[in-house]
Amino acid sequence: MDARVELLLGALASTILLLIAGMVIFVLLKGMPSFTNNGISWFGFGGNVDQQLMDIFNSPANPADYNYELHAGPLLYATALITGAAIVISTAFAVLSAIFIVEFAPHNIRRVLEPVVRLLAAVPSVIYGLIGILVVVPWVADNLISEDRKESVAYVIQLDGTSILVGILILCIMISPIMIAIIVDALRSVPVTWTQGAAALGVNRWRSMWTVSLRAARPAIVAAAVLASARALGEAIMLSMVAGSVGFAPNPLDGFTFFLEPARPLASTIVDNAEGLSVVPFGQTMYAFAAILLVSSAFLSFGGWAARRSLSKYTLGAR
Amino acid sequence: MNKTKFSLAWLLATVMALVAIPAGAQAATITLSGSTSVAPLATLWAQKYVKTKQGKGTKFKILQGGSDVGISDISRGRVTIGMSSRDPKPSDPGGITFNRVAKDAICLVTNPANGVSGFDQALVQNIFSGKIRSWSQVPGAKEQGTIDLFVRTPASGTQDAFDKIFMSPEKIFSGASQKASNGLVQQSVQRDKAGIGYVSEAFTDGLTIGSYKGVPCSLRNAKSGQYGGVRSFYFVTLGTATGSAKKFIDWTRNNKAALKIAASEWVPFK
Repeated sequence: MDARVELLLGALASTILLLIAGMVIFVLLKGMPSFTNNGISWFGFGGNVDQQLMDIFNSPANPADYNYELHAGPLLYATALITGAAIVISTAFAVLSAIFIVEFAPHNIRRVLEPVVRLLAAVPSVIYGLIGILVVVPWVADNLISEDRKESVAYVIQLDGTSILVGILILCIMISPIMIAIIVDALRSVPVTWTQGAAALGVNRWRSMWTVSLRAARPAIVAAAVLASARALGEAIMLSMVAGSVGFAPNPLDGFTFFLEPARPLASTIVDNAEGLSVVPFGQTMYAFAAILLVSSAFLSFGGWAARRSLSKYTLGAR
Repeated sequence: MNKTKFSLAWLLATVMALVAIPAGAQAATITLSGSTSVAPLATLWAQKYVKTKQGKGTKFKILQGGSDVGISDISRGRVTIGMSSRDPKPSDPGGITFNRVAKDAICLVTNPANGVSGFDQALVQNIFSGKIRSWSQVPGAKEQGTIDLFVRTPASGTQDAFDKIFMSPEKIFSGASQKASNGLVQQSVQRDKAGIGYVSEAFTDGLTIGSYKGVPCSLRNAKSGQYGGVRSFYFVTLGTATGSAKKFIDWTRNNKAALKIAASEWVPFK
């Protein structure tokens, strides 16, 4: 009986692994024509990516004349920018919130905060998108975007409120709760004798949190960041609504206007253009985007695992 | 449960499932998918059709996703009828028939606070291609600031029609914000005083409708042929229409009640 259960569970686990591997291989194979026709310039900048997508979509019906030219630099840049900024800000915010919840919060506030944080982690992302587009975007358009600012970039891009600022802000709000929940659990699972030892040496609460508990919980913080980044990478509909639906690469040299310029990460590009899949080269380009997303997630997971391994070398045997 | 009983149970369950599936497909179901412009009209028609004698008991499922989704779905036989708001293209899959069922007007819309209502082709091309970026250069505009353009994604039938009728050979400004449906363009222009966009005539509530080449965008002008921005709505079928699809399409083209429904916000077939 035990042997049969072992086989069954092993079969289930392998099925899932096979499904995932099959999915990655399928997407890579389907998207390969887009990569082979462009070579390394697929990842570069050059020309207007929206116009290139339109030209691919309007390819003639003859397979020999399919148009594949694409320089997806602006989309990759937008993805890295929005995801990276959201992760950095959320990690800082989540760590400080978690320390507050574990150590400093009065008992009544902690009793309310913890369930609320877990509840927020489960809210569907479309709701954040709706609130963003109905409340935050008009507020940004009315208060932060002055007429001078709009005119200064008028011939390059239009500033209408949908921007990377709103995108990063709402993405942070979206991924922070799950990070807070994971880090709180990690901080709680630090052996209590360690913090008692710090208290015995006369260290105050903040210092003992910072030097003892947080240091021990570093692998968990990395794990939380990787989990949140996977969610941020895949966030399509919300970012398509609030971060602007233009394949534009925001220019840091514009100063503060940089934050008010729209951008469109890879997942949002796929969702905005999903209608055109029946045109063969267009569908293959979308598959190429999906392949990049899958490979990035895989690399992120691998990087997280490697970081956690190297970090756990420096904690005592508790890990 | 011993081995034989367990396998017998599985066999029974499989047989039951196989029998149940065809039994459930007795009543006629018509699935439509495709253009977001055609979907409201198709919904109204479906609601009327199930009340008629020939349509009694028919179940309708209407999905959206854009004209190209509809064409792709029908070419693979996934739906009964595909809805398209654009003309056939050479790159479309083969073996499908475009049956025109109505016509629609594409209106240029601006925010009521701005209220621009007179457009000619040169002005439309200059605004949407980005040559003119400020409302102060547009005659009749109450706003003075930068123009905010709202267009559709490349796969949209409305986008295709706009390009062919108004824009060609000019290309749309690269910084224009691409929206996924008529409703989103309508909502964006409603909330932005400096906004301008194009929508199907059914989506013009709360906006100032522009006149093109001196003719206001209205259904009467579209039907009489005076308004220049008219495009066709098609029900796409695999091969020529047969069976329940043919009955439905013929009903929409000939039945008086169906034509009256189409005339409420679109240009009817007859």
